[in-house]
Amino acid sequence: MNRYFREISVTIALGLVLLAMAVLAPGFFQPQPLLSLVTREAPTLVVACGMVLVIISRQIDISVGSQFSVCSICAGLLAARGWPLMLVVPASVAVGALLGAGNGLLVAGLGLPSIVVTLATMVILRQGLNLVQQGAFVNLPDNVQWFGLSQAVGQWTLVAAALVLLVAFGLAMRRIAAGRWVYAVGADAEAARLAGIRPQLVTFLVFVLMGILAGLAATMNIVQSPQVQPMAGAGLELKVIAAVVVGGVAISGGGGNVWGAFAGLLLLACVSPALTHLHIEAYWEKAIQGAIILLAVVADGLRPRKN
Amino acid sequence: MNQNSPSAGWKSVVLRYETLLLAVLVVEWFFFYHYGTTVNRKGVVVGFGTLDRQFDILRHSCEIGLLALALTPVILTAGIDLSVGSLLGLCAIIFGKLWREGGLELPLAAVLTLLAGALAGGLNAGLITRLRLPPLIVTLGTYSLFRGLAEALTHGAVTYTDFPAEFLFFGQERWLGLPTQAWLFLLAAIAVWVLVHRTTFGRSFRAIGFSPEGARYAGLPVGHRTGLVYVLAGLIAALAALIYTARLGQAKADAGTGYELFAITAVVLGGTSIFGGRGSVSGTLLGVAAIAVLKNGLACLPVVIRMNAAEEMSGMFTGALLLLALAGSILPNILSTLRLRPQAG
Amino acid sequence: MRHETAAPLLTLAGIKKSYGAVRALQGVDFELRAGEVHALLGENGAGKSTLINVITGARTPDAGTMTLAGRPLGELTPAVTRALGIACVHQQPALFADLTVAENIGLRLEGGGPWRWVDWRRRGQEAEQLLRRVGADFPANRTVRELSMPEQQLVEIACVLGSGARIIIMDEPTASLTHREQARLFTVVRELRAAGTGVIYISHRLEEIFSLADRVTVLRDGESVGTQAVRDITEAGLIKLMVGREVAQLYPPAESAPGETVLELKGVGCRRAGVRDVSFAVRAGEIFGLAGLVGAGRTELARTLFGLTPADAGEIFLQGARIHPRSASEAVALGVAYVPEDRRRHGVVLEMPIAHNVTMAIHPRVFPGAWLRFGAEEGLACQAIRDLAVKCSGPDAPGSSLSGGNQQKVSLARWLATKPKLLILDEPTQGVDVGAKSEIHRIIRRLAKEGLAVIMISSDLPEVLGMSDRIGVMRGGTLSAILPGGSDPHTVMAAALGQAK
Repeated sequence: MNRYFREISVTIALGLVLLAMAVLAPGFFQPQPLLSLVTREAPTLVVACGMVLVIISRQIDISVGSQFSVCSICAGLLAARGWPLMLVVPASVAVGALLGAGNGLLVAGLGLPSIVVTLATMVILRQGLNLVQQGAFVNLPDNVQWFGLSQAVGQWTLVAAALVLLVAFGLAMRRIAAGRWVYAVGADAEAARLAGIRPQLVTFLVFVLMGILAGLAATMNIVQSPQVQPMAGAGLELKVIAAVVVGGVAISGGGGNVWGAFAGLLLLACVSPALTHLHIEAYWEKAIQGAIILLAVVADGLRPRKN
Repeated sequence: MNQNSPSAGWKSVVLRYETLLLAVLVVEWFFFYHYGTTVNRKGVVVGFGTLDRQFDILRHSCEIGLLALALTPVILTAGIDLSVGSLLGLCAIIFGKLWREGGLELPLAAVLTLLAGALAGGLNAGLITRLRLPPLIVTLGTYSLFRGLAEALTHGAVTYTDFPAEFLFFGQERWLGLPTQAWLFLLAAIAVWVLVHRTTFGRSFRAIGFSPEGARYAGLPVGHRTGLVYVLAGLIAALAALIYTARLGQAKADAGTGYELFAITAVVLGGTSIFGGRGSVSGTLLGVAAIAVLKNGLACLPVVIRMNAAEEMSGMFTGALLLLALAGSILPNILSTLRLRPQAG
Repeated sequence: MRHETAAPLLTLAGIKKSYGAVRALQGVDFELRAGEVHALLGENGAGKSTLINVITGARTPDAGTMTLAGRPLGELTPAVTRALGIACVHQQPALFADLTVAENIGLRLEGGGPWRWVDWRRRGQEAEQLLRRVGADFPANRTVRELSMPEQQLVEIACVLGSGARIIIMDEPTASLTHREQARLFTVVRELRAAGTGVIYISHRLEEIFSLADRVTVLRDGESVGTQAVRDITEAGLIKLMVGREVAQLYPPAESAPGETVLELKGVGCRRAGVRDVSFAVRAGEIFGLAGLVGAGRTELARTLFGLTPADAGEIFLQGARIHPRSASEAVALGVAYVPEDRRRHGVVLEMPIAHNVTMAIHPRVFPGAWLRFGAEEGLACQAIRDLAVKCSGPDAPGSSLSGGNQQKVSLARWLATKPKLLILDEPTQGVDVGAKSEIHRIIRRLAKEGLAVIMISSDLPEVLGMSDRIGVMRGGTLSAILPGGSDPHTVMAAALGQAK
């Protein structure tokens, strides 16, 4: 069985959907709406890259949505005070890194289960943000939206940035020793320890990186609209986890890559516009996304396994 | 693990996690009773200390409490079910649709809804046990699927209302002095308690949670028992849907959104290990109560009322409590490693 | 090529290590010179694995000193020992299933920081070379998941070869290798010795030790009982050192006359488990020993009989009735009991009390209507504790608080409680201290006397020879010979290795 079975099959599924759309509803391929769609998903892709790492290392981070919200609001408030984007982006990334480090300490340092830890930090961050912000939007100065450039240029910039990051991650995880360490830790922490890797440190850094990417994604999100909403990241965690799982990253750790997650994300993102163009009621979106997730895991379950 | 010497009997009772949680709950309750009860200008007692408020707490914790009950056996087997909140929504819609559009009698619609819940749980069960898929991912999929179906069935807009009074009785009235749904909740709690603590089913759940391979080698029907907990979770989620509908008098697609998180929090707070095996139904009940009292109590504190931050404060405190409970659960391990350290090298 | 006068490369003195109540090492002294192959020998549970874990830094010893080339060593971690040039071929390959062979080898070989750019093409070529050197014939871009057990073992060896370590530990490296691969490995080991590497070689196969090793250290019950030059010692002398007592008096004598046939296998096979065409019969009151090398298919056969990997060929008869257990619970209901090899993972649920463990396989009988009866359970548990002399603080003590031998007794008690017709024991005394071992032997004998049909899988050759009424020898997933009890060890070994005599 091919090593990249899942990545290839998801890509084929995506290709089939696009092909079907080309035949049934060519209107789907209008450039502007498509660009908007891809731009909207660009921050999600950045978060997904981090989630791939987290899940490969056999952890999970449910708090990414909240991290994303907190970073968005922080970045928004700073931008509203007139900070230039050059400073807002690192600040947001720093906030994200801090939040990620918190999770990392609890999970790697104390050995607590990541699913419960991040469940707790998700609620704490979300409600803490609500407490401070009371649901108020942050209005941004004009020069923030699309970096003060035209919409098209801004959109292309974001998409390009996300793609560069994707490629960088894809290469780094395969080519750089540290990338392989993450796989090793997720596959078998004890064997990794015997091979001279420090599993706790790797896990901690993976969570920090997840936070950094959430912070980066937050800035990529706020430049898309004149306002920042505090609920920006609500539900993001499940969307991202779904994309990553559909893309073939094994929840039991040690396997998968960002390319599959990329294909999975596109596949799930296509559902809503595809329904619109096929004149199917949009209410089916969630059900279809759920069905896609289940189909993907069932395909995994039916594959013959060694051992 | 000091459960081996009989002379430490009283110690093991006092030091049990549930006892500690009960103490926390009592302190919490009196704290809110003291600081959250006031007399308004007309000389009427308002706030936490009133009986009405206490009944309100009970009324509002029944649905999440039921989901927490449903999740206790699941988590005992080291599984998880993220789909219970969505299933609550789907079952509410199915119930409304059967009654309003299907023209069925309410009792029949209710029974069919419970069946639908068990069936949906069966879907989780089948995927998890037959195909050996990880519960987290399967139920993440059905989390989307169930909610999506609920939205699709109602086109995201239809809400079923105008239920007859005899049905609303179950959610809005009192029976024998207590809110009606509290009796149903109590019944469900006793049933789950018996199942978990007094039958071989509960014993198998624990064995599976501690060591699924060990349980299989002991000849326990692992697949069957694991499937059972998910079917049961579906059934209880359907019951929660009926109570939810009766309390609010309406069935809508977003019913129970986010409830799964509160339910999981309650279970883990109640001392059930997310790694499976350890835990109790009484702990879960205490966990539910601690969260419900916290939420309502905070809403009665003058400080919080002035800040208009009841929801936020209760969320943050619940999260912090969860982290504290987790840290507490590993404290013995940390202490024992610290004690062992000096001998090394 | 002997370096008799070479300075010691690695010296261990007074190493002690306990796991809870189990004292795995109680003062071990050991010395390894550069350019020697030093065999480490001992029965199962003598402390070899623990000693390796101490040397590789995977476990911290409770007491004792270690010196490397004259320099005292502080606290070791795997990373530190790797940097010091100590590498280990683990018995169970510690590989990452989803990574390719080249990536696995790379992970083990790369030193340095995390941000290095890895040249996978060069790594791939190096990996290919290493694989050729150990005689593997599969490409380095396969994922480990796709490899068989012996192939994984070769990768493990390749990893260690490539590390250029000055101390190489090999823990039963030949356990699952074919003859050709073994011969290749021996050549590699001799090359290493010639290059001045110190090799610690662990094996149960005495002939390997005599053909390969320069010196041998024998461990017994966590202590080193002697180091000798191989040319100065005979096979019998080694066995005496290992066992430390006369083999004959260790095993209780057979007292039972076998009765009617309980189990009969006709051409039983299971493709998934790699078992094929097994035929034999076991009678009531008989102990049927199953000998063979690790990976010969003995455990797999037991799992097939127990329904964990259902048979897909042949017929199984239990007391004359044809059975086909498809799951462990079906097998239990039919009267088959299986005391598994890995008691910590399969035999006992460590976190649960003894009482729960003892009744786990008999829920329907002790708890009619699924209703727990705590009194009856405690009674059963206490009886089991008394019958098998389990050393514990009571029926509520968790399995994890027991020593290995007592865990094994609890596992045994669980299966005796099912009142089985057929009892399969898989390595019943592995990792068990000497006292408990002979107790378990007496229990097995008593059970046979009471009319139970017993299949006993064991890698401990003296045990198989001393306990069995008849001995089945497995090789390559099938039964290669059935020998009478009390056969001489060489015949059994020959059958296990497939040497025609």
